Amino acid sequence: MKTVKRMLRMHRIFVAQELKRMMEYKGDFIVGIIGFLLGQFFNLLFLWIIFRQIPSLMGWSLEQLVFIYGFSLIPKGLDHLLFDNLWSIGHFTVNKGDFDKYLTRPINPLFYVMVEKFQIDAFGELIMGIALICISLPSLVIEWSVLKIVLILVTIPFATLIYTGIKIATAAIAFWTKRSGNITYMFYMVNDFSKYPIDIYNNFVKIVITYIIPFAFTAFYPACYILTGENPLFNVGITVVISVFIMCIGIIIWNKGITAYESAGS
Amino acid sequence: MIYVENLKKEFKKVIKDPGLKGSIKALFHPKKEIITAVDDISFHVPKGEILGFIGPNGAGKSTVIKMLTGILTPTSGECRINGKIPQNDRQNYVKEIGVVFGQRTQLWWDLPLTETYSVLKEIYEVEESAFKKRMAFLNEVLELDDFIKSPVRTLSLGQRMRADIAASLLHSPKVLFLDEPTIGLDVVVKDNIRNAITKINAEENTTVILTTHDISDIELLCKRIVMIDKGKNVFDGDLHELKTKYGQMRELTFETDTRDVKNVLSYKEHFGFADDDFSIEADGSLVKIRFNSAVVPVSEMLSYTLQKISVKDMSVKEADIEEIIRRLYKQGV
Repeated sequence: MKTVKRMLRMHRIFVAQELKRMMEYKGDFIVGIIGFLLGQFFNLLFLWIIFRQIPSLMGWSLEQLVFIYGFSLIPKGLDHLLFDNLWSIGHFTVNKGDFDKYLTRPINPLFYVMVEKFQIDAFGELIMGIALICISLPSLVIEWSVLKIVLILVTIPFATLIYTGIKIATAAIAFWTKRSGNITYMFYMVNDFSKYPIDIYNNFVKIVITYIIPFAFTAFYPACYILTGENPLFNVGITVVISVFIMCIGIIIWNKGITAYESAGS
Repeated sequence: MIYVENLKKEFKKVIKDPGLKGSIKALFHPKKEIITAVDDISFHVPKGEILGFIGPNGAGKSTVIKMLTGILTPTSGECRINGKIPQNDRQNYVKEIGVVFGQRTQLWWDLPLTETYSVLKEIYEVEESAFKKRMAFLNEVLELDDFIKSPVRTLSLGQRMRADIAASLLHSPKVLFLDEPTIGLDVVVKDNIRNAITKINAEENTTVILTTHDISDIELLCKRIVMIDKGKNVFDGDLHELKTKYGQMRELTFETDTRDVKNVLSYKEHFGFADDDFSIEADGSLVKIRFNSAVVPVSEMLSYTLQKISVKDMSVKEADIEEIIRRLYKQGV
């Protein structure tokens, strides 16, 4: 409990630090916000144009497609918002020897890396996700129950951790190879498949995104449960199991990686 | 306090032929070579000592420091500091140490310096009252007041280094690791930093391990030195001991009107000096000779010189530490 309290406190402090850092350069900060708002507007516009062309797809109605797409952006956005700094590990932190810093401070290095920065751009995904869900909801027939709402609330953090776990595992490869940004990128990009119903893909893609790089559990399966109320054991239960499993693998690789870390000459 | 036993670190390195072709070849058929950066190093440091840890570039100093601070995992051997093995209990261990890498900074680059200290206060869980007292003390010894409100990116190197040292001392560590803390600094800042180290060592009995290429750092701060070269321990003992053991070099300086002294005086041929034992420099009328007095006694050198030429204003000096270390670096031991 004490550790959790301290972790939350450290997280708050790092977020505050990051906000101060952004505001240190006022011009950049303001232009950044304007650019961000414009970007989100055009994203929404673009999606609307595309979805308008599709009345239905493999038995999924337009509204259902929009809902799945919107839902997929929530875990993705949360991971992006909170744990984006993991990208830097594979891109340059290990390579340049800057990882030294994390090892000489009395905080768990993985936690430190994850919460040190936060990515304001991710609000775009979150806003868009919520917007798409709100647009689709009125035309959808969904049976609501307390259990369902609880299950949804449980699924979202676990779905988020699937992203995080995959990023941790692939970033940690850099401890051996010095750079692994492209590996993370390759895995991460598979998530694009999870924005649409899995029925539209061939068996190969289905197997990959269900069992190998299980991004289907970050969006399609949980969204499927929300829409149809079917198979909560698989759609929600397996999401939780897979999420825990991937986080464990990520942490094991990470901890092993730290002992292989070679720093850089100085 | 600090026990280092048979510490060893190996790195795997992929050997590449030069050019793009070599890189492509190495991608498919990597030739790997094991490089031993630190080879069987052992030493002890008692509590409250300032140890000078020296050696030429690439000797493995930083690798040792990184193992002692828990950044790198040793291939074999062990280090134990305050009874703790850094790699096993890292988070608790690092609370007791302070680390400064002169070539890197641990300050928050974009923010005013004070922000770094207030975050470090949280990271190290320093109490508010202890923090205030500590900052006042660090302000006094390192003179941070002038720039504590400036963003870190605007600090000069000297200011930044003082700020970094203060950052490493905020949580009152028992051991302080300083990897080249005076690199690139002017004389005044160097003095300031040396005074701070002395003061903290005296007042808090902090154990300090210091790597440096500045011999004055060693002479002013350290009683004892450990010297390594190519990953191996080459000397461990008092500065004084180093002087008596290796300090046989003498410097003979004189002025003369004789031209072309280097040819007139053929010391090398006459006495049969080896390359390492003798060197001569002539600058106008001023001649400077360095020679090993264990090979040829000072008296013989003098009488030979006086026989050959007329000399004014002659002096013989003992070699200083810098000269000894230069010789050790050049030849190993």
